[in-house]
Amino acid sequence: MTHSKRGRPVSRASRRQFIKSAAAGAAIAGFPAIVRSAGDRKIVIRDPGGPFTPGFNAAFYEPFTKASGITAVGVQGPHEPTGMIRAMIEAENYTWDMALLSKASHQSLVNIGYLEKVVPEGGPGPNVSRIPDNMRGEYIVGDDVYATVMVHRADTPLGKNPPQDWKDFWNTKDFPGVRSMHKHPFDTLEFALLADGVAPDSAAIYPIDADRAFRKLDEIKPEVDIWWTGGAQTSQLIKTGEVDLLYTWNGRAQVAIDDGAPAVINWNQAMWTFEGWCILKGGPNVDLCREFIEYAAGAEAQSRFTPHVAYGPTNAGAYQYIPEERAKVLPTNPKYLSSMIETDTDWWGKNKEALGERFNQWLLT
Amino acid sequence: MTTSARLPEPPGGRAAARRRGPAWLRFWPIAPAVVFLVFFFVYPATLLLGLSAVDAEGAPTIEHYARLFRSDLYVKVLLITLKVAGWTTLLSLVAGYPVAYLLATVRDNTRNMLIIWVLMPFWTSFLVRTFAWIVLLGRSGAVNDLLVALGLVEYPVRMIYNFTGVMIGMVHALMPLCVLTMLSVMINIDTNLTRAASTLGARGGQAFWRVYFPLSVPGVAAGGLLVFITALGFFITPALLGGRKDTMIVQLIIFQIHEVLNWAFAGAIALLLLVTVLAIFFLYDRLLGLSTLSGETAAAGAARRHGIIARAGGRLGRLFTAGMGNLCEAAARLFDRLRPHRADRPRRGLSRGALWVAGLLVVAFLAVPSFFVIPVSFTEEGFLNWPPKGFSLQWYELVFASAEWPKAAARSLVVAVCAASLGMLVGVPAAFVLVRQRFFGKTAVFAFLVSPIIIPNIIIAVSLFYLFSKLALVGTITGLVLGHTVLAIPYVVITVMALIKNYDRRLDQAAWTLGASRLRTFLHVTFPIIRPGLIAAFMFAFIISFDELTIALFVTGGDFTTLPKQMWDDAIMRVNPTLAAVATLLLVFMSCVIVLSEILRRRGAAR
Repeated sequence: MTHSKRGRPVSRASRRQFIKSAAAGAAIAGFPAIVRSAGDRKIVIRDPGGPFTPGFNAAFYEPFTKASGITAVGVQGPHEPTGMIRAMIEAENYTWDMALLSKASHQSLVNIGYLEKVVPEGGPGPNVSRIPDNMRGEYIVGDDVYATVMVHRADTPLGKNPPQDWKDFWNTKDFPGVRSMHKHPFDTLEFALLADGVAPDSAAIYPIDADRAFRKLDEIKPEVDIWWTGGAQTSQLIKTGEVDLLYTWNGRAQVAIDDGAPAVINWNQAMWTFEGWCILKGGPNVDLCREFIEYAAGAEAQSRFTPHVAYGPTNAGAYQYIPEERAKVLPTNPKYLSSMIETDTDWWGKNKEALGERFNQWLLT
Repeated sequence: MTTSARLPEPPGGRAAARRRGPAWLRFWPIAPAVVFLVFFFVYPATLLLGLSAVDAEGAPTIEHYARLFRSDLYVKVLLITLKVAGWTTLLSLVAGYPVAYLLATVRDNTRNMLIIWVLMPFWTSFLVRTFAWIVLLGRSGAVNDLLVALGLVEYPVRMIYNFTGVMIGMVHALMPLCVLTMLSVMINIDTNLTRAASTLGARGGQAFWRVYFPLSVPGVAAGGLLVFITALGFFITPALLGGRKDTMIVQLIIFQIHEVLNWAFAGAIALLLLVTVLAIFFLYDRLLGLSTLSGETAAAGAARRHGIIARAGGRLGRLFTAGMGNLCEAAARLFDRLRPHRADRPRRGLSRGALWVAGLLVVAFLAVPSFFVIPVSFTEEGFLNWPPKGFSLQWYELVFASAEWPKAAARSLVVAVCAASLGMLVGVPAAFVLVRQRFFGKTAVFAFLVSPIIIPNIIIAVSLFYLFSKLALVGTITGLVLGHTVLAIPYVVITVMALIKNYDRRLDQAAWTLGASRLRTFLHVTFPIIRPGLIAAFMFAFIISFDELTIALFVTGGDFTTLPKQMWDDAIMRVNPTLAAVATLLLVFMSCVIVLSEILRRRGAAR
């Protein structure tokens, strides 16, 4: 039922027919549905919600609507929206036209051919061109960079003797403290390799030597007090001082720090990746989406979401509009970016399923 | 139970004529529930689960099922899931029984006050509840601070991030379900029976175990079943409060659905779960009899049935109650010898006191996180923390200033009321047929009607999205109501079945012999008696819809918010005190509703 349709663009006629029947159905039911007629220029964009909503409203949706006449509406999707996107495309029911996706999620959808090319045939516009090559791809244009960073509480002995790198994280004798790790293979395996002495460089880490990584993880397994499963949980753990040392996404740590938690972010040997704009395959508004993406890649536009979310703009030009104080906590700050390592989502895209299984198995033993 | 052939019939002899008619006529009330689930659950879910039987080219394959057993991960996690659900059920029953018993045997207004406390966990969103435990039981949490300050322990005790944590979170979340189901049965047990046993010389313990307890078994069975299957689908609580090894099978399914998009394999895991649970059902049926739920006491059902397992089960049940009775008797004798009993004093006092202590302790456990939530909603900090710092109304201001919160709350309320009503409409008749008619494949039909709780919500959500896309129901309230009704039906069926099982049909017969018609009998005799249980069933269905997130996200397309979705939205970056403020408001609102209905009820009774 799914694979015959793979990648097939949906014909306009059938879509229109569908919309008509949808509209009629909605009218009968007496409830609102998203109904778009041909003259109605509107795109619906999935975003993560929460603080992103005011951030993206101010940065992109409202100014873009004003500038282009195309109404851009943000809706919050599930935490991990790929399943829903797959369902939309297969059901040919485009409640969303495009979505902000992590590079890893985008990779899963690219693997089954469910995304449109982001760049129109004439080549990228001036704004998209300013995004560096490692922050965009054929099916994604990076919007913000986030990093998985080591965080420690300064009000513990670690405050006087902060761990510098992943070897220190693994060294529970000289750096004692309650530790927490992510119950997920992403980053965890990379950090294990770094702790084992692999050079802090993408080329050295990938392809991941899983046997070596799990051997190193065996060492720290009994010392891990809490295996965290969600970002909001890590903010809470940092804030209440439940753990002394963990790694999490920089934005999550920043929320706790902004609220007064005596925690310190260590950018050294952090893993970075990005989230970006993607267009659902076969949707009715692909061209309008491309217009939006070009707008949203602008330096000034990108600078406007940084007060709301501590993730780094991909367009370096944005920093001329960002106050220095805020620039200090953003991962694309050149000072940090050079000490960080890029996650290889292509490699993960191919190995996630097998390693996910192995990781879960490892947890149980 | 007496068979229908020996029952007096309602006037007119219509039933007699009907009995001669085709068999399906007796079963039509079950049809709406079955048809509803076939259309909105089986059909779409089969489309999705069917993927597990084909390969990428659409040719049949058993590859996905073979993979389940190639690695020991899936069986291991399945066993962990069953272990977690099993312990949750056992603890909920053991701790919940005294509470239900207490509630069933106190005066009406005392009961209503206590029920408000028992229901506390329902009105605080699961997210707030779980984070409340994290803050209360953590290393530097309130409980550990107290223990250390009192000198009871030297170092903080690890109470969460292990199996204990999972149990605390899950038992707390599910025990109200269990207490209310048991209560709806116990409230109809005639206390004169226990008294009669006492006049015949049975002490409290004997009378309880040999008379009262067997009568309450349908409630225990239904409550246990509800908790067990609901617990199988829990994953957020174990993920947040559990340790390294506390992985639930739903987490593996979600990983396949969202992260690697391997829906075929996700379907295979879901079917593994479903088949295992159904196998447990049938084993349970053989051993104790689902008939504990659907019409006969365990012993009678087993005696009627053949087979060693069944008979052993029945005997086991009788041995258990008799053994407990004798044990109590022996303990009472021993106690009497230690402290001679004065003949002029009533005996009841002591055990009654113990019951109150046990009951109130459990109620306190249920209410604790709510007491945490109320003060925290006034904090100045941006996080849930204990003790709350300062005093501020900023979180309430945020709630009232936003247009979304009241809208989301109103929408959730409407959807929950509609879904619960629809669930009752199709579920109650089905429950009547399942209890009162005997037919081939009854266990299978029962298992079918409750299977929507066993299949993870995410599978239902994805499959409904397909179906609703074809029906233009995505992004509509109608779609959401239909989706939630699928989940509500099992709760209604199980609760109402326990209720009817316990209902004394001789009351109906008495009404018939006095000339009342079927309808009149139902309205004036049956309905008033089972009303408290029906209210409980409605409430479960309501809560299920009110707290549901996954289906809401898919079916609405993220286009409009419901309360859980709004809460989730707010908790994206951190679980902040806005959620505590919302929980407090809900608590106040729901308590007002209960108190008001109590006042109205009393006025009605006085008239």
